[in-house]
Amino acid sequence: MLAQQYAAIKRDLDDKGIVFSFCGYLSEGILYSLGEALREKMTLADTDAPTVRRVFAVFVEQMQNIIRYSAEKVTGATTRAVELSAGMVTIGMERNTVFIVCGNTVRNDDVPRLRERLDHLRSLDREGIKTYYREQLREEPEDGSRGATIGLIEIARRASEPIDYDFDTMDDERSFFCLKVRI
Amino acid sequence: MDSLNIPGTGRTPTVAFDFATGHLRMSGESYPDDVATFFGPVFTALRAYLAESVLIPIQFDMELLYFNSSSAKVLMNIFQMLESVARVGRPVSVIWCYEDSDESMRELGEDFSEDLHHVAFSLRNVPVGSIG
Repeated sequence: MLAQQYAAIKRDLDDKGIVFSFCGYLSEGILYSLGEALREKMTLADTDAPTVRRVFAVFVEQMQNIIRYSAEKVTGATTRAVELSAGMVTIGMERNTVFIVCGNTVRNDDVPRLRERLDHLRSLDREGIKTYYREQLREEPEDGSRGATIGLIEIARRASEPIDYDFDTMDDERSFFCLKVRI
Repeated sequence: MDSLNIPGTGRTPTVAFDFATGHLRMSGESYPDDVATFFGPVFTALRAYLAESVLIPIQFDMELLYFNSSSAKVLMNIFQMLESVARVGRPVSVIWCYEDSDESMRELGEDFSEDLHHVAFSLRNVPVGSIG
Protein backbone atom coordinates (compact mmCIF):
# COMPACT_ATOMS: atom_id res chain seq x y z
CA MET A 1 0.00 0.00 0.00
CA LEU A 2 2.75 2.40 1.05
CA ALA A 3 4.89 1.77 -2.02
CA GLN A 4 1.81 1.88 -4.22
CA GLN A 5 0.75 5.29 -2.95
CA TYR A 6 4.15 6.83 -3.42
CA ALA A 7 4.71 5.06 -6.73
CA ALA A 8 1.53 6.79 -7.89
CA ILE A 9 2.97 10.18 -6.97
CA LYS A 10 6.22 9.30 -8.73
CA ARG A 11 4.32 8.10 -11.83
CA ASP A 12 2.33 11.29 -11.92
CA LEU A 13 5.57 13.32 -11.90
CA ASP A 14 7.12 11.04 -14.56
CA ASP A 15 4.03 11.43 -16.77
CA LYS A 16 4.44 15.20 -16.65
CA GLY A 17 8.12 14.86 -17.62
CA ILE A 18 9.24 16.13 -14.23
CA VAL A 19 12.77 15.08 -13.32
CA PHE A 20 13.30 17.23 -10.30
CA SER A 21 10.82 18.34 -7.68
CA PHE A 22 10.78 19.87 -4.27
CA CYS A 23 7.74 20.63 -2.18
CA GLY A 24 7.87 22.00 1.32
CA TYR A 25 9.59 24.72 3.27
CA LEU A 26 12.25 26.51 1.30
CA SER A 27 15.11 28.59 2.60
CA GLU A 28 18.14 30.29 1.09
CA GLY A 29 20.24 27.30 2.23
CA ILE A 30 17.98 24.88 0.37
CA LEU A 31 18.03 27.12 -2.69
CA TYR A 32 21.82 26.97 -2.69
CA SER A 33 22.06 23.19 -2.29
CA LEU A 34 19.34 22.40 -4.83
CA GLY A 35 20.80 24.90 -7.28
CA GLU A 36 24.24 23.32 -7.09
CA ALA A 37 22.77 19.83 -7.55
CA LEU A 38 20.76 21.09 -10.51
CA ARG A 39 23.79 22.63 -12.21
CA GLU A 40 25.91 19.52 -11.63
CA LYS A 41 23.19 17.22 -12.92
CA MET A 42 22.66 19.29 -16.07
CA THR A 43 26.39 19.54 -16.73
CA LEU A 44 26.81 15.77 -16.31
CA ALA A 45 23.93 15.25 -18.73
CA ASP A 46 25.85 17.30 -21.33
CA THR A 47 23.31 20.11 -21.36
CA ASP A 48 24.80 23.01 -23.30
CA ALA A 49 26.29 25.79 -21.17
CA PRO A 50 23.84 28.57 -22.18
CA THR A 51 20.86 26.34 -21.27
CA VAL A 52 22.41 25.46 -17.91
CA ARG A 53 22.89 29.17 -17.20
CA ARG A 54 19.33 30.06 -18.21
CA VAL A 55 17.73 27.25 -16.20
CA PHE A 56 19.84 28.14 -13.18
CA ALA A 57 19.02 31.85 -13.41
CA VAL A 58 15.27 31.18 -13.65
CA PHE A 59 15.49 28.66 -10.82
CA VAL A 60 17.18 31.19 -8.50
CA GLU A 61 14.64 33.95 -9.23
CA GLN A 62 11.68 31.61 -8.80
CA MET A 63 13.02 30.18 -5.54
CA GLN A 64 13.74 33.66 -4.19
CA ASN A 65 10.24 34.78 -5.14
CA ILE A 66 8.81 31.92 -3.09
CA ILE A 67 11.15 32.58 -0.16
CA ARG A 68 10.24 36.26 -0.12
CA TYR A 69 6.58 36.27 -1.10
CA SER A 70 5.00 32.96 -0.13
CA ALA A 71 1.98 33.70 2.05
CA GLU A 72 2.79 30.60 4.04
CA LYS A 73 5.94 31.16 5.99
CA VAL A 74 7.56 30.91 9.39
CA THR A 75 10.11 33.47 10.47
CA GLY A 76 12.14 33.84 13.57
CA ALA A 77 15.56 34.64 14.90
CA THR A 78 17.58 32.11 16.83
CA THR A 79 21.27 32.67 16.31
CA ARG A 80 20.47 34.19 12.93
CA ALA A 81 17.32 35.27 11.14
CA VAL A 82 15.36 32.41 9.63
CA GLU A 83 12.88 32.66 6.81
CA LEU A 84 11.18 29.43 5.77
CA SER A 85 8.55 29.70 3.08
CA ALA A 86 6.34 26.97 1.77
CA GLY A 87 6.19 26.29 -1.92
CA MET A 88 7.07 23.88 -4.66
CA VAL A 89 9.44 23.86 -7.58
CA THR A 90 9.61 21.31 -10.36
CA ILE A 91 11.82 21.01 -13.40
CA GLY A 92 11.12 18.78 -16.35
CA MET A 93 11.35 18.17 -20.07
CA GLU A 94 8.54 18.63 -22.54
CA ARG A 95 9.01 18.28 -26.32
CA ASN A 96 12.80 18.71 -25.90
CA THR A 97 12.36 21.89 -23.91
CA VAL A 98 13.26 22.32 -20.26
CA PHE A 99 10.49 23.84 -18.16
CA ILE A 100 10.42 25.09 -14.60
CA VAL A 101 7.20 25.40 -12.64
CA CYS A 102 7.01 26.97 -9.23
CA GLY A 103 3.99 27.25 -7.01
CA ASN A 104 3.18 28.94 -3.76
CA THR A 105 0.36 30.39 -1.74
CA VAL A 106 -0.34 34.09 -2.16
CA ARG A 107 -2.79 36.44 -0.47
CA ASN A 108 -5.86 37.18 -2.55
CA ASP A 109 -5.21 40.92 -2.07
CA ASP A 110 -1.92 40.52 -3.95
CA VAL A 111 -3.43 38.66 -6.91
CA PRO A 112 -4.55 41.66 -9.02
CA ARG A 113 -1.17 43.38 -8.84
CA LEU A 114 0.72 40.18 -9.64
CA ARG A 115 -1.65 39.39 -12.51
CA GLU A 116 -1.17 42.86 -13.93
CA ARG A 117 2.65 42.54 -13.85
CA LEU A 118 2.59 39.11 -15.45
CA ASP A 119 0.14 40.15 -18.17
CA HIS A 120 2.31 43.12 -18.97
CA LEU A 121 5.36 40.87 -19.29
CA ARG A 122 3.42 38.45 -21.47
CA SER A 123 2.47 41.26 -23.82
CA LEU A 124 6.09 42.21 -24.51
CA ASP A 125 8.34 40.78 -27.19
CA ARG A 126 12.05 40.06 -26.65
CA GLU A 127 13.14 43.65 -27.28
CA GLY A 128 10.33 44.98 -25.11
CA ILE A 129 11.43 42.77 -22.23
CA LYS A 130 15.02 43.99 -22.59
CA THR A 131 13.92 47.62 -22.54
CA TYR A 132 11.68 47.01 -19.52
CA TYR A 133 14.59 45.34 -17.70
CA ARG A 134 16.82 48.34 -18.38
CA GLU A 135 14.14 50.70 -17.07
CA GLN A 136 13.51 48.70 -13.90
CA LEU A 137 17.22 48.44 -13.16
CA ARG A 138 17.16 52.17 -12.58
CA GLU A 139 13.95 52.22 -10.51
CA GLU A 140 13.80 52.18 -6.73
CA PRO A 141 11.94 49.03 -5.58
CA GLU A 142 8.24 49.48 -4.80
CA ASP A 143 7.16 49.30 -1.17
CA GLY A 144 7.16 45.74 0.13
CA SER A 145 8.35 44.36 -3.18
CA ARG A 146 11.99 43.54 -2.32
CA GLY A 147 12.78 43.59 -6.02
CA ALA A 148 9.96 41.38 -7.31
CA THR A 149 9.48 43.25 -10.57
CA ILE A 150 13.04 42.95 -11.78
CA GLY A 151 13.04 39.28 -10.72
CA LEU A 152 10.02 38.53 -12.90
CA ILE A 153 11.55 40.42 -15.83
CA GLU A 154 14.75 38.44 -15.41
CA ILE A 155 12.66 35.25 -15.60
CA ALA A 156 10.83 36.42 -18.73
CA ARG A 157 14.11 37.45 -20.30
CA ARG A 158 15.63 34.01 -19.92
CA ALA A 159 12.52 32.19 -21.16
CA SER A 160 12.15 31.04 -24.76
CA GLU A 161 8.35 31.52 -24.79
CA PRO A 162 5.98 33.88 -22.96
CA ILE A 163 5.65 32.83 -19.33
CA ASP A 164 2.50 30.99 -18.25
CA TYR A 165 0.78 31.61 -14.97
CA ASP A 166 -2.40 30.64 -13.16
CA PHE A 167 -4.19 31.14 -9.86
CA ASP A 168 -6.37 28.67 -8.00
CA THR A 169 -8.52 30.19 -5.25
CA MET A 170 -8.10 28.23 -2.00
CA ASP A 171 -10.35 30.22 0.32
CA ASP A 172 -11.41 33.81 1.08
CA GLU A 173 -7.86 34.82 1.86
CA ARG A 174 -5.51 32.74 -0.20
CA SER A 175 -4.86 31.42 -3.69
CA PHE A 176 -2.35 28.99 -5.09
CA PHE A 177 -0.14 30.71 -7.65
CA CYS A 178 1.72 28.82 -10.37
CA LEU A 179 4.30 30.11 -12.82
CA LYS A 180 5.59 28.03 -15.74
CA VAL A 181 8.68 29.03 -17.67
CA ARG A 182 10.05 27.29 -20.75
CA ILE A 183 13.74 27.67 -21.41
CA MET B 1 42.92 53.91 2.56
CA ASP B 2 43.23 50.17 3.27
CA SER B 3 42.35 47.76 0.53
CA LEU B 4 39.19 45.70 0.79
CA ASN B 5 39.50 41.96 0.24
CA ILE B 6 36.57 39.60 0.63
CA PRO B 7 37.19 36.00 -0.45
CA GLY B 8 34.52 34.55 -2.72
CA THR B 9 32.12 31.78 -1.75
CA GLY B 10 29.82 29.62 -3.87
CA ARG B 11 27.26 32.41 -3.96
CA THR B 12 29.15 35.61 -3.20
CA PRO B 13 31.84 37.18 -5.37
CA THR B 14 35.48 37.75 -4.58
CA VAL B 15 35.94 41.44 -3.90
CA ALA B 16 39.46 42.78 -4.35
CA PHE B 17 39.62 46.57 -4.08
CA ASP B 18 43.21 47.80 -4.12
CA PHE B 19 42.53 51.43 -3.33
CA ALA B 20 46.17 52.50 -3.44
CA THR B 21 46.54 51.56 -7.11
CA GLY B 22 42.90 52.20 -8.11
CA HIS B 23 42.50 48.64 -9.27
CA LEU B 24 39.13 47.22 -8.23
CA ARG B 25 37.86 43.77 -9.09
CA MET B 26 34.79 41.64 -8.47
CA SER B 27 34.69 38.08 -9.73
CA GLY B 28 32.67 34.89 -9.46
CA GLU B 29 29.03 34.35 -8.60
CA SER B 30 26.64 36.74 -6.93
CA TYR B 31 23.34 35.59 -5.46
CA PRO B 32 23.80 36.25 -1.75
CA ASP B 33 21.05 35.16 0.64
CA ASP B 34 20.91 38.76 1.77
CA VAL B 35 22.19 41.30 -0.72
CA ALA B 36 22.21 44.19 1.77
CA THR B 37 24.30 42.31 4.32
CA PHE B 38 26.88 41.21 1.78
CA PHE B 39 27.20 44.43 -0.20
CA GLY B 40 26.82 46.84 2.74
CA PRO B 41 30.57 46.86 3.61
CA VAL B 42 31.45 47.00 -0.09
CA PHE B 43 29.39 50.18 -0.51
CA THR B 44 30.76 51.74 2.66
CA ALA B 45 34.36 51.23 1.51
CA LEU B 46 33.71 52.32 -2.06
CA ARG B 47 31.79 55.43 -1.00
CA ALA B 48 34.61 56.48 1.33
CA TYR B 49 37.20 55.87 -1.39
CA LEU B 50 35.30 57.86 -4.01
CA ALA B 51 34.88 60.75 -1.59
CA GLU B 52 38.66 61.11 -1.17
CA SER B 53 40.23 64.02 -2.93
CA VAL B 54 43.01 61.98 -4.57
CA LEU B 55 42.20 61.42 -8.18
CA ILE B 56 43.95 58.13 -8.86
CA PRO B 57 42.49 56.66 -12.05
CA ILE B 58 40.19 53.72 -11.38
CA GLN B 59 40.09 50.48 -13.29
CA PHE B 60 37.18 48.26 -12.31
CA ASP B 61 37.30 44.67 -13.58
CA MET B 62 33.91 43.05 -13.46
CA GLU B 63 34.40 39.30 -13.86
CA LEU B 64 31.07 37.84 -12.86
CA LEU B 65 29.90 34.46 -14.07
CA TYR B 66 26.39 34.85 -12.75
CA PHE B 67 24.43 37.39 -10.72
CA ASN B 68 20.78 37.41 -9.72
CA SER B 69 18.38 40.29 -10.19
CA SER B 70 18.93 41.73 -6.69
CA SER B 71 22.66 41.84 -7.39
CA ALA B 72 21.92 43.56 -10.71
CA LYS B 73 20.41 46.45 -8.75
CA VAL B 74 23.58 46.64 -6.66
CA LEU B 75 25.79 46.69 -9.75
CA MET B 76 23.68 49.51 -11.15
CA ASN B 77 24.29 51.51 -7.95
CA ILE B 78 28.03 50.87 -8.16
CA PHE B 79 28.12 52.04 -11.77
CA GLN B 80 26.13 55.16 -10.91
CA MET B 81 28.65 55.99 -8.17
CA LEU B 82 31.53 55.50 -10.61
CA GLU B 83 29.78 57.61 -13.24
CA SER B 84 29.34 60.50 -10.83
CA VAL B 85 33.07 60.70 -10.03
CA ALA B 86 33.98 60.25 -13.69
CA ARG B 87 31.64 63.14 -14.54
CA VAL B 88 33.71 65.47 -12.39
CA GLY B 89 36.98 64.44 -13.93
CA ARG B 90 38.29 61.28 -12.32
CA PRO B 91 39.36 58.77 -14.99
CA VAL B 92 37.33 55.58 -14.58
CA SER B 93 37.37 52.52 -16.78
CA VAL B 94 35.18 49.46 -16.39
CA ILE B 95 36.06 46.19 -18.07
CA TRP B 96 33.11 43.86 -18.26
CA CYS B 97 34.32 40.29 -18.82
CA TYR B 98 32.11 37.56 -20.17
CA GLU B 99 32.92 34.00 -21.12
CA ASP B 100 32.79 32.73 -24.68
CA SER B 101 29.24 31.71 -25.59
CA ASP B 102 27.73 33.66 -22.69
CA GLU B 103 25.58 35.98 -24.75
CA SER B 104 23.35 36.89 -21.80
CA MET B 105 26.32 38.18 -19.82
CA ARG B 106 27.44 40.26 -22.79
CA GLU B 107 23.92 41.68 -23.17
CA LEU B 108 23.75 42.52 -19.47
CA GLY B 109 27.03 44.40 -19.85
CA GLU B 110 25.45 46.39 -22.68
CA ASP B 111 22.46 47.16 -20.46
CA PHE B 112 24.69 48.66 -17.80
CA SER B 113 26.87 50.55 -20.25
CA GLU B 114 23.88 52.51 -21.60
CA ASP B 115 23.88 55.03 -18.77
CA LEU B 116 27.64 55.45 -18.62
CA HIS B 117 28.81 58.49 -20.52
CA HIS B 118 31.95 59.44 -18.61
CA VAL B 119 33.09 55.99 -17.54
CA ALA B 120 35.08 54.22 -20.26
CA PHE B 121 33.20 50.94 -20.53
CA SER B 122 34.50 47.99 -22.50
CA LEU B 123 33.37 44.44 -23.01
CA ARG B 124 35.96 41.71 -22.96
CA ASN B 125 35.41 38.20 -24.23
CA VAL B 126 37.45 35.66 -22.25
CA PRO B 127 37.93 31.89 -22.63
CA VAL B 128 35.62 29.60 -20.61
CA GLY B 129 37.13 28.80 -17.21
CA SER B 130 39.47 31.77 -17.03
CA ILE B 131 37.45 33.81 -14.53
CA GLY B 132 35.69 33.03 -11.28
